[in-house]
Amino acid sequence: MALLEAKDIYRSFQGFLALAGVSLSVAEGSFHALVGPNGAGKTTLFNVITGRLRPDRGRITYEGREITGWPTFRIARMGLAISFQRAQPFLSMTVLEAVAVACLGYQGRTFALLKPLRDFKEGLAQAEEALQKVGLEKQSSRRVSELPLGDLKRLDVAIALAGRPKLLLLDEPLAGLSRAERREMVAFIRELLRKEGVTLLFTEHDTEAVLHLADRITVLHQGRVLAEGSPEEIRQNAEVRAAFLGGGA
Amino acid sequence: MRLLWLFLALALLGPWFSEYGLKLASEAFILGLYAMAFNLLFRQTGLLSFGQAAFFGLGAYTMALLVARGGWPFPATLPLAFLISALGALFIGFLSIRLSRIYFTMLTLAFAQLLYAVAHKWYAFTGGDNGITDLRPPGIWGESLFYYYVVLFLFALGVLFLWALERSPFGYALRALRDNRARAEAVGINAFGHLLLAFVISGALSGLAGALQGALQRSVFPDYLFWTRSAECILATILGGSGVFLGPAIGATVFLLLRVVVQANTEYWPFFLGALLLLMVLFFPKGLGGLALEMASRRLKGERRGASGS
Ligand SMILES: Nc1ncnc2c1ncn2[C@@H]1O[C@H](COP(=O)(O)OP(=O)(O)OP(=O)(O)O)[C@@H](O)[C@H]1O
Ligand SMILES: [Mg+2]
Repeated sequence: MALLEAKDIYRSFQGFLALAGVSLSVAEGSFHALVGPNGAGKTTLFNVITGRLRPDRGRITYEGREITGWPTFRIARMGLAISFQRAQPFLSMTVLEAVAVACLGYQGRTFALLKPLRDFKEGLAQAEEALQKVGLEKQSSRRVSELPLGDLKRLDVAIALAGRPKLLLLDEPLAGLSRAERREMVAFIRELLRKEGVTLLFTEHDTEAVLHLADRITVLHQGRVLAEGSPEEIRQNAEVRAAFLGGGA
Repeated sequence: MRLLWLFLALALLGPWFSEYGLKLASEAFILGLYAMAFNLLFRQTGLLSFGQAAFFGLGAYTMALLVARGGWPFPATLPLAFLISALGALFIGFLSIRLSRIYFTMLTLAFAQLLYAVAHKWYAFTGGDNGITDLRPPGIWGESLFYYYVVLFLFALGVLFLWALERSPFGYALRALRDNRARAEAVGINAFGHLLLAFVISGALSGLAGALQGALQRSVFPDYLFWTRSAECILATILGGSGVFLGPAIGATVFLLLRVVVQANTEYWPFFLGALLLLMVLFFPKGLGGLALEMASRRLKGERRGASGS
């Protein structure tokens, strides 16, 4: 069954067509990769899915419900979480606070005015759990602004996981990480999400990682879907090779 | 808790003040509360409201009209002043929070000036420039020492509330929105709802401050709604430091003391104020509160180094 479906999505910026009729179906439990060269429209599609951008045309359905045009915060509360390409979580907080406020955000409990955050034991426990999953539990009392880029990226993933999402969108989770960190992150994504039954939709330029992780790949090129299939099918696809594996493959 | 000690000390100080000292101290608490309310928006959400006078004035006029025209006892008007300014903030906030920052600032200013014009022109209701005078609260409420304690009590309540707010999930959500709005919305935080509530709280506390000021001065004039009133809470905040929790209250106290000293000796208060602010912004952007904290921490470090060195 499709957990997320995008149908015929169009979106332009001042006349420039960033998405020109993209359709995509993410099956429940799958690891779905969205690949394509810079400017293909991957981040734009993520923004449309999470409600940051309105599509000019087309529909998004999630769990069988149409969510097109819903505000971002409502979509997030339905268990659709994202980690951004440019990870810049809440820089004025400590690591634990940043994840804890996210936890309560997903649950719609941030309108509590008087009880201090540190008395929300359940939320804090959940935040600690999310930090443990990404291996940041030892950094929990550090300031976010002191973290190196690799840890920021992991923290952002923890913030996404804090709501125990059903569908996780990761926009280039490996960008800016060192080789070792990349390997760690790939292993982490594989094991953890499989174990928890989280459905994943992700973009990534690292072809090796994509082939390693994905069980379904959609190729986006200039705002259109160029091909879709299993990793094997995509590797064999002549059109895809011509479009951007180019001379290298 | 350190805040409670501070309030206790201020309470003990009461009987030692002269009549004039009590008035000045009461005014400092009022301006302090007003500036702290402004800073809830400025520090926690990054929104610069240049129209806080709208709520300060709404609170003051609500109190004054109820007392002068409705014959209400002064204490009973305070909850209503709080409520009416909250409603005013709900309306103005609803229309301005969706706008981008600079337009938000301009629109809050515009609304406050609009209310000023109304208060100024509507003689029949507000008394126009003549204002509403003779607001001496009855009985013990009109006595300076008692009033000092009333104001101190409400100031303390307001400050404790803001203190709790800052540590609550709501306070963290505001900071999340300020740090990275897109990220905050993507974790389920409703930006508009949170900012609107912060705006309403800030407006309600400003209105309470306005009502208290009106009773202290025994009169309310249209200048309670004028943009210079909006500037006052901003100036106090810059002076004391927006990044320090009590900064705006410290700034308010210094602001009033300076005004007394300068006005007694020269007629160049606005010039003096402008020069002082320029110096603060250029050389001490963290304000007096920030400066004090920095000096304290440097001293602490120095002591520690001294201890380990010997
Ligand atoms: N807010 C915007 N305003 C104008 N143009 C935009 C905007 N957002 C995206 N674009 C344009 O839309 C196109 C698609 O951008 P998008 O960020 O979706 O690409 P991408 O596939 O994520 O690329 P990358 O791999 O570099 O992250 C680009 O040409 C980009 O310049
Ligand atoms: Mg992108």
